[in-house]
Amino acid sequence: MKKAFLLCLALLLLLNALPLRAQENLKPFVFMPQWTPQAQFAGYYVALEKGFYREEGLDVHINHPSSTSTPMARIKDHECDAITLQLVQAMEMLDNGLSLVNILQTSMNNGLVIVSRTEQNPMEMKGAKVVTWRAGFGQIAECMSVELSLDFDWIQAAESLNLYVVGAVDAALAMSYNEYYQLLQTNLIPSENSVYRFCDHGFNIPEDGIYMSRETYAKDPDRARRFAIASRRGWEWAAAHPEETLDIVMSYVQRFRVSTNRILQRLMLDEVLRLQRNKESGEQEFRLLPEMVKQASDLMYRNGMLKRQIGIEELLP
Amino acid sequence: MSRFRNFHNYLRRNLYARLSLWIVLLSSLVFLAALNYLFFLARQTVRREAEQRAVQILDNTVLRVNGILEDVEIAADNLEWLVKRGIDAPDKMVDYAQEIVRNNSVLSSGSISFEPYFYPEKGLYYSIFAYRTYSGDVRWQQEGDEDYQYFYLDWYLFPKLLQKPCWTEPYDDVDESDDKDMDTGMIVSYCKPIFKEDSVLVGSISLDVSLKWLSETVTAVKPYPNSYCILVGRGGTYLVHPDPDKLFYQTLFTEGLVHADPDRYALGHSMQQREEGMQVINLDGQKSFVFYKPLSTTGWSVAIVCPDSDILGGFYRISRIVMYIILASMILIFFLSAWLTHRQLTPLSTLADAAENIASGNLDSTLPEIDRIDEIGVLNRSFRNMQSSLVSHIDQLTKATAARESLNRELQIASNIQMAMVPHVFPSREDVDVYAMMAPAREVGGDLYDFFIQDEKLYFCIGDVSGKGIPASLMMSVARAMFRILAKQGLSPAEIARQINDLASEDNEQMMFVTMFMASLDLQSGVLNYCNCGHNAPVLISGRGKKPHFLDCKPNMAIGIMGGFAFEGQTVANFRGKSLFVYTDGLNEAENAEHEQFGEDRMLFLLAEENFTNAQTTIETMHQAVTAHVNGAAQSDDLTMLCISLSA
Repeated sequence: MKKAFLLCLALLLLLNALPLRAQENLKPFVFMPQWTPQAQFAGYYVALEKGFYREEGLDVHINHPSSTSTPMARIKDHECDAITLQLVQAMEMLDNGLSLVNILQTSMNNGLVIVSRTEQNPMEMKGAKVVTWRAGFGQIAECMSVELSLDFDWIQAAESLNLYVVGAVDAALAMSYNEYYQLLQTNLIPSENSVYRFCDHGFNIPEDGIYMSRETYAKDPDRARRFAIASRRGWEWAAAHPEETLDIVMSYVQRFRVSTNRILQRLMLDEVLRLQRNKESGEQEFRLLPEMVKQASDLMYRNGMLKRQIGIEELLP
Repeated sequence: MSRFRNFHNYLRRNLYARLSLWIVLLSSLVFLAALNYLFFLARQTVRREAEQRAVQILDNTVLRVNGILEDVEIAADNLEWLVKRGIDAPDKMVDYAQEIVRNNSVLSSGSISFEPYFYPEKGLYYSIFAYRTYSGDVRWQQEGDEDYQYFYLDWYLFPKLLQKPCWTEPYDDVDESDDKDMDTGMIVSYCKPIFKEDSVLVGSISLDVSLKWLSETVTAVKPYPNSYCILVGRGGTYLVHPDPDKLFYQTLFTEGLVHADPDRYALGHSMQQREEGMQVINLDGQKSFVFYKPLSTTGWSVAIVCPDSDILGGFYRISRIVMYIILASMILIFFLSAWLTHRQLTPLSTLADAAENIASGNLDSTLPEIDRIDEIGVLNRSFRNMQSSLVSHIDQLTKATAARESLNRELQIASNIQMAMVPHVFPSREDVDVYAMMAPAREVGGDLYDFFIQDEKLYFCIGDVSGKGIPASLMMSVARAMFRILAKQGLSPAEIARQINDLASEDNEQMMFVTMFMASLDLQSGVLNYCNCGHNAPVLISGRGKKPHFLDCKPNMAIGIMGGFAFEGQTVANFRGKSLFVYTDGLNEAENAEHEQFGEDRMLFLLAEENFTNAQTTIETMHQAVTAHVNGAAQSDDLTMLCISLSA
């Protein structure tokens, strides 16, 4: 009897100790997408809400940046483990000496557009005041401006939309999945001629991917691999269940009081998923192709945005 | 279905119900047409007045909001003056900012911000932000750091880029302050650039108004219970809207991204163009009147949305009540009209019952007393006259019928007597076969036949008196009696004819005559003597298988035409084995409905066909044939047939 009691006590203690041990092992994985909550990051919300990260043994925290504090600054300061970046941003950071690793490439296409406030084609508006994001994302447009001698007067702003709405600028950079739809819903885009899509003019340079500093990555590559796997799973699930995904996105949007609505988020999700599909195969491929990197590197190097050419090997683990 | 049929039958049977229904239907139509026009006019008036009211309220609202905005603009002007005056003393900005917020209750906060390194001693960022706490205190803090780079925010960039004062679109001021007492929420800012020496931009002033406060001012406007006021930004964004899901998150054009809505688009576009007006559009499944007007300097537009049910609600309610009253009136009119018509038509109904009673034979029944001079009174009098005429007519008819019945009885007796005159018992002998029949066209007829055997001689005759009925029957009786008397004396047929003719011709004022065939057949010798007095020639059948033919007859006159006429007799030397078929013209001239006569040919054919068996069969066959030919048509003449056959 005494033996049985002792056995039970030991078992109880063991059971109590197990979660403590597990918690100790689960070091938080801080992930920071490059913008406020929206369907652009649907796959990560899904992975978190559906427990895909947990299944990979990760305790992921998704922190969004404030409108003036960029994820680039956070990763530099090791305030987060992984961030999303556009390919050109990552290359710019690499060029500036911060070694990054692309652990998952989600985008396969470019969604950058430039929208003028008049009916004039933005590419014919030499010297126009064009608003761009303070947080980056406008590198390709900047290259174009130099390459075509457009000499755009770049106005950096936390958000590009309102300057366009009040007419403080001549044109605005926009993402086809985000600001473009927001501008559409203001009914202020004069005509289709006012919209220039970079992807249609030989600059289909892919955008979002998940990046880690090489230093962080090197500490635990397996952890990064598991994060990438769960994130990819999240995106695949989002593509298969758009309505449920939208519910999840809207819960984030509402929690963070983002000025948007379900219609915009639905359009964004559709567009982001479209950009994730390889134009040739029609599939979500989640990979960075050497020719993509080369095209971006050539463009940026040619226009003085990179001090040297950067190859894909510098980005891959 | 059967209920409808019952109702239909009920209507068909009841004049008063039918009349009432027609009255109600027609008056309903007239009422409806009149009401429709009335409703149309009333609706126009109500709508016009509602529009005027809404426009007035809208004007007041715009005035009030403009007042608030102007207060802010004036405060900004004051602040600008202060800032410019103290531009060289950066620490003074704290007092200015606090003072301006403290002195203007409409402001929730305000800031004075400068370009990077404008005050080198203050560093990259120098922005004084004064704000009102929940308790009403005014506090301040210096803003700007790596995490809050104000240079890139709308409220700083707008005046800088536009180089003139302007209002921002609303934005969320939630997470930039550490002070928990700060009244946060959506704000709009009036921003004004600060120029040094009127050309160099050194910073900007931003005065903030809580949108909640502005919203309360706008949403307080409620001209109708379900109407609401909205404020729309330059990009069509809902800055004030009762639906929190739409507020800041949607624009007038959002739904148009997925479902085209031309009406809403037209409204949004007009509001964006800073136009003033009214449009009727379908908003959230409800027809609504939207009255809109732009605000002075912001580029925003205020609109009052009044659901159709609100503006015309009272009108619809009254319309419904009027319709119910009309409906109730119609039902009342129906019953009143039915009652009145029924009451007016009751004498007609009583009259109808009385007429029915009379029609059933009760001629003495009393007609109701109706003391009226209208159509029903006239009808009643006509009925009375008709009743008395009917009674007298029926009386006469009854008498005439009684007289006719008496005559008919007498005629029947006469008929019986006449039929009894001709022999009905035929001799039952082996050597001679006699059979005859007579069918008068009326009760009594003018045909005759007779036969008897005396001294082994068979005397027989057949005759047809001119005319029909009683006169002919009397003549027939005389002729038959004379034949029998004279034949009994053993006279020859020609002699008998002569004597009868002489007697009948005397005093024959009526100019009646009789055609007769008379004959005597010696049953021993087989000699047939005969005399035909203007009668149809009999048919002689010379034996079985022989073709029947007409007996040769001299052209003697009919009896009674001319006295003293010498009748010529004829003889068939040997009648043995032969038959004679004697008849009146009632046979060959019998007509059917198409006036086709039976005819002599048919008669001869039948006699040949029948191939004489015996006298009775021959006569019955002929009678059946003529009956079939006539086929129910009225018998026009008396029919008599006699057949005699002598064995070989």
